[in-house]
Amino acid sequence: MNKQDTAKGSEPMVQIKNLSKWYGDFQVLYNINVQINEGDCVVICGPSGSGKSTLLRCVNGLEDFREGDVIVEGVSVKEVSHNRGIYKLRSKIGMVFQHFELYPHLTALQNITLAPRKVSKVPGQETEKIAMELLERVGIPEQARKHPGEMSGGQQQRVAIARALAMKPDILLFDEPTSALDPEMIRDVLEVMVNLAKEGITMLVVTHEMGFARAVADGIIFMDEGKIVEQGDVESFFKNPASERAKDFVDRVLVHI
Amino acid sequence: MLRGILLTLQIGIISWIIALFAGILIGTFRTFPWRPLRVVGTAYVEIFRNIPLLVQLFFWYYAIPPLVGQWLNRMHNLGYYCAIFGLGIYTASRVAEHVRSGLNTVPTGQRFAGLSTGLSQLQLYRHVIIPYAIRVMIPPLTTEFLTVFKNSALAMTIGVLELTGMADRINARTWHGLESTTGAIAGYLIIGLSIITLMSLVESKLRIPGLIKR
Ligand SMILES: Nc1ncnc2c1ncn2[C@@H]1O[C@H](COP(=O)(O)OP(=O)(O)OP(=O)(O)O)[C@@H](O)[C@H]1O
Ligand SMILES: [Mg+2]
Repeated sequence: MNKQDTAKGSEPMVQIKNLSKWYGDFQVLYNINVQINEGDCVVICGPSGSGKSTLLRCVNGLEDFREGDVIVEGVSVKEVSHNRGIYKLRSKIGMVFQHFELYPHLTALQNITLAPRKVSKVPGQETEKIAMELLERVGIPEQARKHPGEMSGGQQQRVAIARALAMKPDILLFDEPTSALDPEMIRDVLEVMVNLAKEGITMLVVTHEMGFARAVADGIIFMDEGKIVEQGDVESFFKNPASERAKDFVDRVLVHI
Repeated sequence: MLRGILLTLQIGIISWIIALFAGILIGTFRTFPWRPLRVVGTAYVEIFRNIPLLVQLFFWYYAIPPLVGQWLNRMHNLGYYCAIFGLGIYTASRVAEHVRSGLNTVPTGQRFAGLSTGLSQLQLYRHVIIPYAIRVMIPPLTTEFLTVFKNSALAMTIGVLELTGMADRINARTWHGLESTTGAIAGYLIIGLSIITLMSLVESKLRIPGLIKR
């Protein structure tokens, strides 16, 4: 059940080590430690403002941090964050956002091909072919020529997932990918994510979709006020959360479903 | 008169091109996540937009040649070049402000999205931020484009016979004040209306499908 035993090599894919971060005087993250093995899907949950998005952005160096480090496939984010190494590292980490963040002036296809064309310098025709395959994979090849403003939220988010996959990343970060969507669309997006998890891509997912967590997550992290309060197996987290705060939280999200 | 119009067009267009390039560069500097560039950008804008254009033109025309060398004074088109240069870099400071506020309308999420795919800071600006911001900037830039032509009238004070200067000279020589000023007015109106037509064409060309017209 636990993929930890099957992960090849000894190095975890992502290691967050003693990470602390401040926004000015305000400490957002307190001494975070997380390990994610290759092929694992780890869910992060917790109340609003607990620092989930910030933590995710530290993993691909979109935020700098004062203390600790993040090691991704053996590369220190802290070390490369001041040189061009960060671009290479980011291209191996796909990211999907709550509000999609597609480029509004480009079509679905162009949104997907931009990075492969500009970062990996793959020729245009080839990237288009790859992009079409990705759109097939997320189930909306017919939307290829549309602009984001002409698509539904669910379609936009699936294009965004395709865009994140276009650089053939080893890791995917999801930041509440379904919380801006209507219920019917949530299912479409979750389906794509479940398939990705089953294909064995390493995933770090901030979500409150506990059905998703139960179906595919290999581990769950509960955060509150910038600290990791609980970290472990999904079922035991739901059945008997160790802390009061996690208990409250579980009660609330489960009632909600 | 026609020569005046042509000269006004020349001065306006060339200084507009200078203003556009310099303005985009400086405005971009002011949003760049690197402090020295931001300082340079801010200094530029604050210097050039706080000094009256007329004084700037006088500075380039009267103060620079003695500093650089008298050979400049022997250049018979000196006023013309000073007008283009002065107008260009003055307008650049105003363009830069529009560029900066346009760039600031781009949501942080767009930056995160671009960077997360591995785009470099430069590629991010080139392919994500500027194309997005340019659409917000078009109306204020149209105004600046029009202003360049109106400001170019000041060139007559440093001896350039553009449209206003020409009208003034005709008036002085023939006492046909009504005809000469009406001619100048017509000239400016024609130029202005053409620019407005051109810019609304550009705007509709750049309109993003699926987004509400701003
Ligand atoms: N750029 C910023 N500057 C200052 N404070 C910030 C900034 N971004 C976030 N914060 C603060 O940091 C804390 C954590 O924010 P973060 O967005 O990481 O939380 P979150 O867990 O993702 O919340 P949500 O579930 O609402 O998305 C919040 O208190 C927030 O107000
Ligand atoms: Mg968040």
